[in-house]
Amino acid sequence: MNTPNTYIGGHVERVEDARFLRGAGRYIDDVTREGMLHACVVRSAVAHGRLVSIDAEEALAMPGVHAVLTAADVTGEIPTIPFRRPNPKIGPYAQPVIARERVRYFGEPVALVLADSPELAEDAAELVLPEIEPLPAVVTRDAALAAEPLLFPGTTEDNLAAVFTAGKGDAEAAFAGAALVVGDSFSTQRQTALPLETRGLLAEWDADAQHLTVHGAAKLPFFNRRAMAKMMDLPETSVDYVEHDVGGGFGARGEFYPEDFLVALAARITGRPVKWVEDRREHFAAIAHSREAEAQVELALDASGRILGLRGEMFMNVGAYVRPNGMTPVRNCAQFMSGPYRVPNIALQATAYVANKTPAGTFRGPGRYEGSFFIERLLDMAAARLGLDRRTIRQVNLLTNAEMPYPLAQIRPSDGSRAETSCDSGEYSEAFHRCLQAFDWEEKEKLDGRLIDGRYHGIAVSCFIEGGASGPAETARIQVAGDGGVEVYVGSSAIGQGLETVMAQIAADTLGLPMECIRIYHGSTTYLAEGWGSYGSRATVMGGNAVREAALALLARFRALAARRLGVGEAEVSVVGGQAVGPDGAVLDLADLAAEGLAGEAKFLNSDATYTNGTAAVHVAVDPETGRVEVLDYVVCDEVGRIVNALTLHGQVTGAAVQGFGSVFGEELPYDDDGALLVGTLADYLVPLATDYPRVRCLSLESYPSPTNPLGAKGAGEGGIIPVGGAVANAVASALRAFGVAPNHLPLSPARVWALLNPPD
Amino acid sequence: MKPFDYVRADSPRSAVAAGGARARFIAGGTNLIDLMKLEVEAPERLVDISRLDLGGIGPAEGGGLRIGALASNADVAAAHAVRRDYPALARALLSGASGQIRNKATTGGNLLQRTRCPYFTDTSQPCNKRRPGKGCAAIGGHTRNHAILGATSHCIATHPSDMAVALRALDASVEIEGADGSRRRMTVGELYRLPGDAPDRDTTLEAGELITAVILPPPPAGAAQSYRKVRDRASYAFALVSLACVAKMEDGRIDQVALAFGGIAPVPWRDGAAEEALRGENPGPEVFEHAADILLADAERQGDNAFKIPLVRRLLKAELARATGTGDQR
Repeated sequence: MNTPNTYIGGHVERVEDARFLRGAGRYIDDVTREGMLHACVVRSAVAHGRLVSIDAEEALAMPGVHAVLTAADVTGEIPTIPFRRPNPKIGPYAQPVIARERVRYFGEPVALVLADSPELAEDAAELVLPEIEPLPAVVTRDAALAAEPLLFPGTTEDNLAAVFTAGKGDAEAAFAGAALVVGDSFSTQRQTALPLETRGLLAEWDADAQHLTVHGAAKLPFFNRRAMAKMMDLPETSVDYVEHDVGGGFGARGEFYPEDFLVALAARITGRPVKWVEDRREHFAAIAHSREAEAQVELALDASGRILGLRGEMFMNVGAYVRPNGMTPVRNCAQFMSGPYRVPNIALQATAYVANKTPAGTFRGPGRYEGSFFIERLLDMAAARLGLDRRTIRQVNLLTNAEMPYPLAQIRPSDGSRAETSCDSGEYSEAFHRCLQAFDWEEKEKLDGRLIDGRYHGIAVSCFIEGGASGPAETARIQVAGDGGVEVYVGSSAIGQGLETVMAQIAADTLGLPMECIRIYHGSTTYLAEGWGSYGSRATVMGGNAVREAALALLARFRALAARRLGVGEAEVSVVGGQAVGPDGAVLDLADLAAEGLAGEAKFLNSDATYTNGTAAVHVAVDPETGRVEVLDYVVCDEVGRIVNALTLHGQVTGAAVQGFGSVFGEELPYDDDGALLVGTLADYLVPLATDYPRVRCLSLESYPSPTNPLGAKGAGEGGIIPVGGAVANAVASALRAFGVAPNHLPLSPARVWALLNPPD
Repeated sequence: MKPFDYVRADSPRSAVAAGGARARFIAGGTNLIDLMKLEVEAPERLVDISRLDLGGIGPAEGGGLRIGALASNADVAAAHAVRRDYPALARALLSGASGQIRNKATTGGNLLQRTRCPYFTDTSQPCNKRRPGKGCAAIGGHTRNHAILGATSHCIATHPSDMAVALRALDASVEIEGADGSRRRMTVGELYRLPGDAPDRDTTLEAGELITAVILPPPPAGAAQSYRKVRDRASYAFALVSLACVAKMEDGRIDQVALAFGGIAPVPWRDGAAEEALRGENPGPEVFEHAADILLADAERQGDNAFKIPLVRRLLKAELARATGTGDQR
């Protein structure tokens, strides 16, 4: 696939790193404006209640406090935050940008204080006293399903935001004819993505121009601009979202949150720039949570281990409101639970219920991580019952390239183009074999289930697919500056994933120029008339192909302009290495024609998803006295269609794996019975630290380019996290086989593992 | 954060003169500043003692080691005399917090740090330790990290320090300067108090009293020392259960033994009767079990933390087996 001397496919170091490592990154809190006010959000300390009144008198009396905004300052109806994937049922559950009569979660915004400094704003916020009559909080699934009480009385008849089905074939018949049915209950715990940089915004209102600028964009600035324009009753072109450096997104950052509107409203009302930067404690209650899922699922198999069918129910606690992509993990879990396997008959139902907790959204591998955990556990249970090797049961079910495109289950109600989707390409056993070879399964298997130096060793293997591309479109524009430098404007966003490097590689190779000539401008609505952003593993596929097409358009224009300048036909001009050469040897540089409008623009269209496939293998050691699980080795091999940059790819996969260990072992957002969030600091929320960082190895293959795009790339990077729950849980089960434990509930904290070994009498 | 006055003390004398019930001494500030930001602590005055001449680690009068109250946790853990003579203390310190925090946190401050009970730091929740008489939201709440010994119906929080657990096992004392300029000494055991019906008071210090040093007695000759901490994450996590163990064998019998536990009680926990049951005995599983029975006779689970009771038992058995050379030496 790689041609010599190309950037694409090389181990190209990130161009961003020089800036980041020298402390020269510019994040939202580094952006300041003359005369700006600082905002602090007053949040409900009650999970569920009637908002009776808000007494801001004392706060307003503080010198340096300029205003306290509440729902009363919003004219007309309180706007609600739009959905990324609307469906008929979720409408009433949209989140209002500020609470008016009722609060529904601990941390819900009820007022905004504006003051001369962030410290003053925070002190004043302490003095704003919302009077809230508490109502019983809905925290558990049982309470939510029993509708005791309703979160939206008078508007909805239950607490069910949506019920999706994922269907294919005839599951009932498949189960009726099965040699074996295995089933069980599983759950994954509520957690959050935890970007290193907390959220922040700075809004500026230009009253003369009637123009709003919002700094602090990430992920999808164009969607948010559209949402903001509608809420503010402004033309879309009167709103800009500007992206600065972003310290991590992982699906949670960059969605439209209540603060987007409130900070903009404050700027519009006061006429002054308004800045808001979250602290970590606030972040835990404000940013989207994810992963709180339960499942009761069954797999039907024949005697040789071939999967005949999959059925069951899933329940996701989506918090108090449906946020823009609150349904993504729910529908994904149902649609992608079948993973990389040939599952001809599927009947899954996924219910999203609301409860008095922070609203949920996406987090790296949304729904896929949960679904992968469920099916991988079932496969190991089935292998044990059938007396099959755990590798064999996967091998016989992995998809082959001859079956492509292979349709996955259909989602109903339909929520857009991906309600029906198919795997695009790949011989899935290839990554499987390469992974096990690198892992040295045969050698490690000798340790499986054995007690060595006081710890039980276990290994496991887990396979996955990762959806990518996330169409329908992405845009790019390339223009040549007067000095011959090439400016590339992309609709994609940079959330710390190395976008500037990858886009520069693609532009440089297509244009035949050194990367150093290329400058990437991204993520702001000021650069392009329309764009999409970075989510769902789409930037390389959608943005990368848009850059490629824009570069090709630029070269065509270059050729045309050169031919005109040289007075020859276009066919007589050869374009190589940023130079146009005429038939007589006359040479023109890009810079020579810059003044004539040397630019190229493209909108890359593709609504088909890409599917990276892969396999992870893990080796763990379990201390039976403390329940502590140590990961000794983790190998991931993925087939990504085309590797653009092995370093950024492996960096993402490794990071995802380590983030996954946090999901599996420690990270949890517990609530008490009254709906109070019990985590406020990083001492309570156990993310992996350097001491929890095991050996992680990544391998990537590019054997089956995706037919969906000219680059052949498939969205990748989440491969480290999707299979981690199933892999680790199966390895723990294998290590502790002598005890017959079933680690079906995450996290596998020391206490949980210990309790599996020491069941209460 | 609430506004406060700031006074920089130039001597211990001036520090205690400026102190009082509504003032707080500040040195490293690694716990106090966090609590002030959350308004769990809202002192009217901060008395900055960080520039006082209270650092230093050196021989104590009459043997042993004197550690100045302002010696940083990192310096104490790295001190040669500590590593050589009091390895349990060095290990306890290194198992706590993070490198950055240990560089900043002081010996006196470490002793006086407050509980990490999530209800204590959440001002929207009732907490008798924060506001006496308001009630305890932890009881019946999320209690994984709470006490199994020494708790009351007013408070079930645990003391978070690792260092204090090792000091308790090593029979350390604290040197205190009183508000009237008087000086006194008490053991670390005497420094801490059980919550009783006044859980807001963690220690027996009077208002305005300043800890000026920690005194360690001469190291117990020939004794094995260890500190083992069981927690949810290998660094930057508080103990679920920890154990500082000092044990000396004589002719195959246990001659001296001190066992101090962290993470299970409102104070670093020692049980004289359990230690007594070990003294003079031939080490072995039955003897260890018997000591654990005594130690845990009054242990009570709080909701989610039932696991701590068997965990304490296993930790005790494992560490005693190691210390007495009768079990797994890993």
